[in-house]
Amino acid sequence: MTSSEGRLRRLLRSRILGPSIDGQIDEELDVHTELVVRELMAEGFDEPAARREALLRLGDRRQVAEACHRQARGYERTLRRGVLWDELRQDLVYAVRQLRRARSFTLLAMLTLAVGLGATTALFSVVHGIVLRSFPFAHPERTVLLLEQFRDEGSEFSVGNYVDLCARDRNFEAIAAMNFLALNLAEGTEPERVVAATVNGDFFKVFGISPQLGRTFDGSETEPGHEAVAVLSYALWRSQFGGDRAVIGRVVHLSSQGYRIIGVMPPSFDPTGSHEKLWVPFVFTPAQRAQHDEHYLDVVGLLKKDSSLEATKAEMGVGMRELTRRFPNANTGRSAVRLQTISAWVLGDLPHRLYILLGAVGLVLLIACANVASLLLARGTTRQSEFALRAAIGAGSRRLVRQLLTESAVLGLAAGALGALIAEALLKIFVRLAPPDIPRLDEVGVDGAVLGFALVISLGASVLFGLVPALRSGRQGPHSLLRGGMSSVGRHYDLLRSGLVACEVALALTLLVGAGLLIRSSIHLQNLPLGFDAAGAEVSRIGLPESAYPQPRAVVAAFEQIVAGLQQQPGVRFAAAGSGTPLGRGATNNGLLPEGLPFAPENLIDSMLHVVTPSYFQTLRIPLVAGRTFTTADRSGGERVMVVSRTLARRAFGDRNPIGKRLACCEEDPAARMHTVIGVVGDVRTRGPAAEFAPEFYVPITQTPAEGWTWLQRTLTLVVRSDSRAMATAALRKAVHDVDPTLPVAVTSFGEGLDARLAEQRFHTALLLGLGVLGFLLATVGIYTVVAYFVHQRTREIGIRLTLGASRMRIVQHLTTQGAVPLIGGLLIGAAAALGTSHWLEGQLYGVTAKDPLTFVAVIAVLGLTGWLAILVPALRAMRIDPRRAIADI
Amino acid sequence: MQKTTSDRLRGTLDALVLTALSNGPLHGYGISRWLANRSSKALRVEEGTLYPALYRLERVGSIDAEWGMSELGRRARFYRLSPAGEQQLAVEVRTFAEFIAAVSPILLPQLSRGETA
Repeated sequence: MTSSEGRLRRLLRSRILGPSIDGQIDEELDVHTELVVRELMAEGFDEPAARREALLRLGDRRQVAEACHRQARGYERTLRRGVLWDELRQDLVYAVRQLRRARSFTLLAMLTLAVGLGATTALFSVVHGIVLRSFPFAHPERTVLLLEQFRDEGSEFSVGNYVDLCARDRNFEAIAAMNFLALNLAEGTEPERVVAATVNGDFFKVFGISPQLGRTFDGSETEPGHEAVAVLSYALWRSQFGGDRAVIGRVVHLSSQGYRIIGVMPPSFDPTGSHEKLWVPFVFTPAQRAQHDEHYLDVVGLLKKDSSLEATKAEMGVGMRELTRRFPNANTGRSAVRLQTISAWVLGDLPHRLYILLGAVGLVLLIACANVASLLLARGTTRQSEFALRAAIGAGSRRLVRQLLTESAVLGLAAGALGALIAEALLKIFVRLAPPDIPRLDEVGVDGAVLGFALVISLGASVLFGLVPALRSGRQGPHSLLRGGMSSVGRHYDLLRSGLVACEVALALTLLVGAGLLIRSSIHLQNLPLGFDAAGAEVSRIGLPESAYPQPRAVVAAFEQIVAGLQQQPGVRFAAAGSGTPLGRGATNNGLLPEGLPFAPENLIDSMLHVVTPSYFQTLRIPLVAGRTFTTADRSGGERVMVVSRTLARRAFGDRNPIGKRLACCEEDPAARMHTVIGVVGDVRTRGPAAEFAPEFYVPITQTPAEGWTWLQRTLTLVVRSDSRAMATAALRKAVHDVDPTLPVAVTSFGEGLDARLAEQRFHTALLLGLGVLGFLLATVGIYTVVAYFVHQRTREIGIRLTLGASRMRIVQHLTTQGAVPLIGGLLIGAAAALGTSHWLEGQLYGVTAKDPLTFVAVIAVLGLTGWLAILVPALRAMRIDPRRAIADI
Repeated sequence: MQKTTSDRLRGTLDALVLTALSNGPLHGYGISRWLANRSSKALRVEEGTLYPALYRLERVGSIDAEWGMSELGRRARFYRLSPAGEQQLAVEVRTFAEFIAAVSPILLPQLSRGETA
């Protein structure tokens, strides 16, 4: 018992049980001492001497008092615990000594384990940081995103639908609509383009996060008749306003309109992972409130405590169908409402992919455990005499098992500590190499939960690899020492080792099949035709503020002027402007109706609109398939024309020639609806390199639909092909600022943008490949060590066989056959396991099925061949055994 | 369960203490004096052994304790044999007798041999 514990106990007793037992003992011992003193004085001592002697006899008073305490409270229990603790301490000391003695074994086992534990811990910290940790909202489980259900997809809400359906719903404590908008912030020397969220309703109440500075706006400020206000993100406050606290109350100009800054949010506030830099109220106009078409609002809400997700969804679905009945044209194909927590929406399928990686890393850890287990088994055989001796001098078999498990635990914990360091390093590499659009990646780190996880898996692994060898040696009594010699390797051992080999092969195969499938997908994606040429093109998104360019005509004129100016700049070969450029944002879809078909939902072809200048196709190198592209003669007021993509042409007109056919779209006015198809161009993967081709159509910028500039937020992407990136950048700045010096210009490379889209897929593949290779190497080493050890143990037997006339070839054959059985078994089990689990990858496979025969055959061949080599090499060594020396060793 | 060596030693000490109390209540010092006198001073039970044993016996209910006046005029704790203690004493004495009976034929000849050597 430690003295602090004793003190606590005494304290408790004195408080709870009344008079202190301590005082009682003290008093008793005092009386005793006095009586002894009297006795001694009677025997002739003088008083001081008697007192000295009496105290001496009593010994350590505190110890006596504590012993009395223990007795008064139940001594036996403490005693038993003490014995256990003593034995554990002995085992620990013994384990450390044993491990230090077998230095090369310890080093090999520890490194193998540490790599497995480190990789697993690193990946767990990623999963923990991104998926498991709750989102920084007041009530993450009730904070939801709402979407309209449009056919098979989720779609944004229209203002009309939001006002009529969401804003009235009683299931929400707070609800808000938001839209993203690029604004030109005139602050400092150069105007900057910042992404803002315009929000309506109780946006900040939905998330329950207080501002760091000032205040946020409430529902009333998004109603008409209030001053325009803005809340800044922490990042914008630091970068553009120098973190000045006096910024509250100041008026800033955003796209030429004044806003009063009322607050600054904390750095972690990025509720939808959209990285918007500020929030401004979205005041709906009466026209917008009546508009049920034009679906562009993201709706977020905080469900009431007693409202369930499913019930609310069902209830709102009824309301949505009612709206579709009332506004059939605006709500075609919209039959329900989607509701999911924001965390699920932000993370998307990321948790699934991360769990696959975690599973893969778990397989690597299992292989590492199998390796260490076989090393321990090998050591177990060499340590048999040690165990036998210990058993003979009275160690019970349970005690031996406990001691071996202690050894494993010490090994596991040491490896775990090393693994934690490895995890920290791996994590740094992971975060640096990972594509930047993974949400919450910057918050990933090693913390208490992660260390706890590392501790648990280290102990778990210790039991996993330590238990079987420990039980084996526990079962061997002292008799094995007597037996010793020839047959010290029991059949069990061989079975166990064969089992381990089979497991390792099966685990490695499962891993490699997964990696193989993803690699094939990557190759497929890399070779997929994009339909346009991104290399050597630079892009810049330019938005014109509504206040300065209220009329569509002014917008068109400005863009035409900018493109014309661009084409005059030195080094520029092609220049164009367009909306909905591949990989870019700001695409809008419209339902197209081929002429002659009745207006019905099933006849509408949902297609992506592109508003482009005539040079667009040439600049992006989108091939013309039939007809012609636009010329400067296609002006507003002339015949309305459009160019369609191949997929749209086929969808709308089948095999018939589409040129000259007409499609209705984009306008309320029936007279303006019809567009004549003048050309067909190749399909483009606008939505990303992995996306399927979709119907798309192009209209000349001069014939932009009436509402088009609102849909596009007066924003187009400029694309330039020139001799160098520097030239393109200079040209873009010059051409834009010649027209309007207040417009911000940020230039990016088209090719790099494309790479970024593929980066996540590539990163994921690289990780799984890395794990596959690691598992593969571990498994190969594992097979090799098992067979090599087996040969080493059989040296004498092989020597005898050779002396008795067995041919060397025969010995090799015998050994390889013995090794091949678990190898083949492992391959079969692994193939079955891979077939059973590869469908988890399905969502990430492109151009290859989850049961791709080529991948399976290739992986089995590679693993089989390598495994066979790992068997053959030690077997061939057996061939060189000198029979005389082998037998002489007996 | 078979009794181990430490059980036996403790059992012997218990038996000695219980015997001392079988003639009436005594305080701790009284018990050690009684044992010393009875064994012609051969047996000296140390305080560090005696008092923990008293607390243990009190906990298991073999003895009861109450405050009384010592010969010094200060109060001291007096221990008294309980009915359970009387039973325990009988058991301990019998066990001890069996032990002596079992061990004596083996060990006593050693004694005479040690004397002759």
